Amino acid sequence: MTDGEHVVQAVGLCKSFKGRIALDGLDISIAQGQLYGLAGPNGAGKTTLIRTLCGILRPDKGEASLLGWRMPSSRVRSQLGYMPQDFAVYDDLSVMANLEFFGGLYELRRAQVRERAGELLELVKLTDRKNQRVGTLSGGMRRRVSLAISLLHKPRLAFLDEPTAGVDPKLRRALWDDFNRLAEQDVTLLVTTHLVDEALRCHVVGFLNAGKLLSQGTPDEILAETGTSNLDDAFIELQERGEAKS
Amino acid sequence: MKSLAVARNVLRRIVHDVRTLALIVILPLFFVLLYGNSFSGSYRDLTIVIVNEDNGLVSVQTAEVGRVTLDLGLAQSFIDALDPQMFDIVESDDPADVDKVGKSGVWAALVFPRSFSNAVVNEALRASGERKVDLEEGMVTLLPSDPVGGPKTVLVLDDGNPLIAGAIRGAFDAAFTQVLQSQQSSLTVEAVLEVRALHEGKIQMLDFTAPGIIGFAMTLITVMLTAMSVVRERTSGTLTRILIAPISAWEVTIGYTFAFSVIGVLQAAELFVASILLFGIRFVGSPGLVALIIVLFTIGLQGIATLISTLSKNEAQAMQFVLFLLIPSLMISGVFWPLETMPATIRPLSYISPLTYANAGLRKVMLAGGGFGEIGFELVVLAGFAAVMLLLSVLSMRRQAYTA
Repeated sequence: MTDGEHVVQAVGLCKSFKGRIALDGLDISIAQGQLYGLAGPNGAGKTTLIRTLCGILRPDKGEASLLGWRMPSSRVRSQLGYMPQDFAVYDDLSVMANLEFFGGLYELRRAQVRERAGELLELVKLTDRKNQRVGTLSGGMRRRVSLAISLLHKPRLAFLDEPTAGVDPKLRRALWDDFNRLAEQDVTLLVTTHLVDEALRCHVVGFLNAGKLLSQGTPDEILAETGTSNLDDAFIELQERGEAKS
Repeated sequence: MKSLAVARNVLRRIVHDVRTLALIVILPLFFVLLYGNSFSGSYRDLTIVIVNEDNGLVSVQTAEVGRVTLDLGLAQSFIDALDPQMFDIVESDDPADVDKVGKSGVWAALVFPRSFSNAVVNEALRASGERKVDLEEGMVTLLPSDPVGGPKTVLVLDDGNPLIAGAIRGAFDAAFTQVLQSQQSSLTVEAVLEVRALHEGKIQMLDFTAPGIIGFAMTLITVMLTAMSVVRERTSGTLTRILIAPISAWEVTIGYTFAFSVIGVLQAAELFVASILLFGIRFVGSPGLVALIIVLFTIGLQGIATLISTLSKNEAQAMQFVLFLLIPSLMISGVFWPLETMPATIRPLSYISPLTYANAGLRKVMLAGGGFGEIGFELVVLAGFAAVMLLLSVLSMRRQAYTA
């Protein structure tokens, strides 16, 4: 079903909002089991790209396919994990009730949800908060609940929009370890971050700026290409080259 | 000064919110126009059946020339005295048509007996004594005769709507008075007009307005709750998250509709029980039929609420849209004032308001014990409304996921 080993394929994606260009002819492909880090400043187009790939937004031009299905397609939904940038959780329900509701949408039985919730709450360090109302949790904790929901049904492909924003450094490191573990289990992840240096933990990094992919490759390839020692500097270098070209 | 800064900030935010600003400006004007138009109308086109068996002839004894026969046609004079704009008169030869009152939109039926004119004149003479009149034969003295009996005409009146019944009664009284006065008759209207009220005057204003008020209360609460809930679902991102899961917009909409319909029905039950226990409102029909009307109505309301949520960027806007759409429905749906009093410019709005049909159906069941046959039209309209709204809800839900 997939195009070779690539589970995400997009060609020439364009999207603009009231004349403001968010995606500018973007091509991207992500191989199965790859942890792809999409880095870029606020407003670079990261969220728009994820929403377009998921089928939430319709591109003005270009096309995308996920797991071999041209989007938008309802066929990939059960295999797709999506963590939006906003929390997208029910503040008035407990952590467990949130997980149970979304688990139900993916046709998980109650026992399956409970088992899976146990694993995920351990992952996001919220086991002792499972019966607490989400609205009473801190912002970082709510984001972790959102992450747990997006991984609940063991998706083959997960889009995680800024999963580590507002999360303390220790837990952030643990989360990136877990993303890598998931990738080892053949789960493909597209993770966005505006903390460019975080992308070092990814197999492949794509630098996005003003709706264009400035460069993509392994962190080492990008560092070699730009002759820099860290990804922050690499990004700035690529950005300046782009501005000089235009 | 800090308070001024707060006030300025509040106003600035409102000015930047074009929809809210538009509602703030338009809403009061809209209400005034609607209020003025809704309540300034007069009764028009009330269908009444008149069975006129009166031959119009009057036979009286005179002192000068013996018995004379006159053709006065008092029944016809009475019919002519009725306001033609207020009544849509259906003249019939069949006294059985009286049974149409309360059905097929017939508000009243009047049967003039065969010797109505004769009885009225002779009864008047008997009551007032001899009277001089100028006839073709010259000035003659009419003599009181023996009782001829049966001067009364029977008015069968649908008093299911106390306002309309009162207006019809008033118009008939005026017409009879005019005719009797023209004949210089000493008879009172009561002497010639017998009123038979279909519901024996048992339906009070409270009973009459209760179904509509209950329907409106249910509408307001249900639509507000649903609209706010969907807006919150969208703005918090959970709606997008739901619609990315393997669930169709149909399933989401049905889930929403089911949940809020249950709430709507429970609310309606609470409103009915409280109204009956606290105020003893009339409820003579089938609770099952009332529940059916409520369920169809509530399903349709979910659709309105979902559409409102589509138009609203936030919960405050949703609230204003709810008020904008629903408060007028109370004025135009025949809850307080009958549709028959609405000006022609407003009536089309009345006919597209679902509360009009819920109110009419509930009234027929609650006040008159109407069955499927009587509320068939209302049920069909409400079912159609529910189906269309459900479809629009699905489309709207899908759109909201893509615009969240």
